[in-house]
Amino acid sequence: MASYKGGGGGGGGIPLERMSVEQLRALKEQADLEVNLLQDSLTNIRTATNRLEIASSALNDLSLRPQASKMLVPLTASLYVPGTLDDSQKVLVDVGTGYFIEKTMAEGKDYCERKINLLKSNFDQLVEVASKKKNVADEMAVILQAKMKQLASTSS
Amino acid sequence: MSSLTSAVRDLQRDLENKTNDLSKLQKDIAKNHQVRKKYTVQLGENELVLKELDLLNEDANVYKLIGPVLVKQDLAEANSNVRKRIEYISAELKRLDATVQDLEEKQNSKKDAILKLQQRIQSIQTTKGKA
Repeated sequence: MASYKGGGGGGGGIPLERMSVEQLRALKEQADLEVNLLQDSLTNIRTATNRLEIASSALNDLSLRPQASKMLVPLTASLYVPGTLDDSQKVLVDVGTGYFIEKTMAEGKDYCERKINLLKSNFDQLVEVASKKKNVADEMAVILQAKMKQLASTSS
Repeated sequence: MSSLTSAVRDLQRDLENKTNDLSKLQKDIAKNHQVRKKYTVQLGENELVLKELDLLNEDANVYKLIGPVLVKQDLAEANSNVRKRIEYISAELKRLDATVQDLEEKQNSKKDAILKLQQRIQSIQTTKGKA
């Protein structure tokens, strides 16, 4: 315990090859955790992008409907009530923190587009970071295996 | 001989106390990180809202969800509310940063003290073994 210098600083100045098996293992576990976290974030972004794309296509569909057409309005997950479509040219957009903005159909579509692009660029950036981290973790795994083989061969 | 054993026992008790302090410090640091994450997410969300509000014309309608009610809000008022929230969250984040730095310094000094104590205990035990 005394020879392991605290969480993140462990791999800082020492090259990987010179570290002991325990230190390597701990560092590899840390790197694996980080990779998992990044993968989860990637999945979240993908889900959000999907939902936005569904919203965008729903908007498109809505804009095609004439006014006063009959529709079923969901009140709960299992209860729908009949209603008529009012003005489909205005939509309320949820922009976060409890604020809703009234926009025209075109602005609403534009909002969806913008959000989808933002998420896509975040996703790309994250993919880069995640793959770099994964490479580091894989490298550590290789070195760890080599070290363990070395130990096994010297002790036998 | 017995004075040495009691000295070791005192040191070990001191070690236990310091280790408890250290784990409490680490819990505080972890809590700090959690609160920090929450605030950072809220800050990001509020900045998105501010960007959307800035894109609007003067006459666009803005509504705020208060409980189950959607209430019409004045654009200028909504802007200033969001800005004030952003300022507040940034101040909170800065305060948390200072706190966590202070906590980390304390944590490091505790770790050093624990290390020294362990070394002292070890050296006493080895001299006891030799004698």
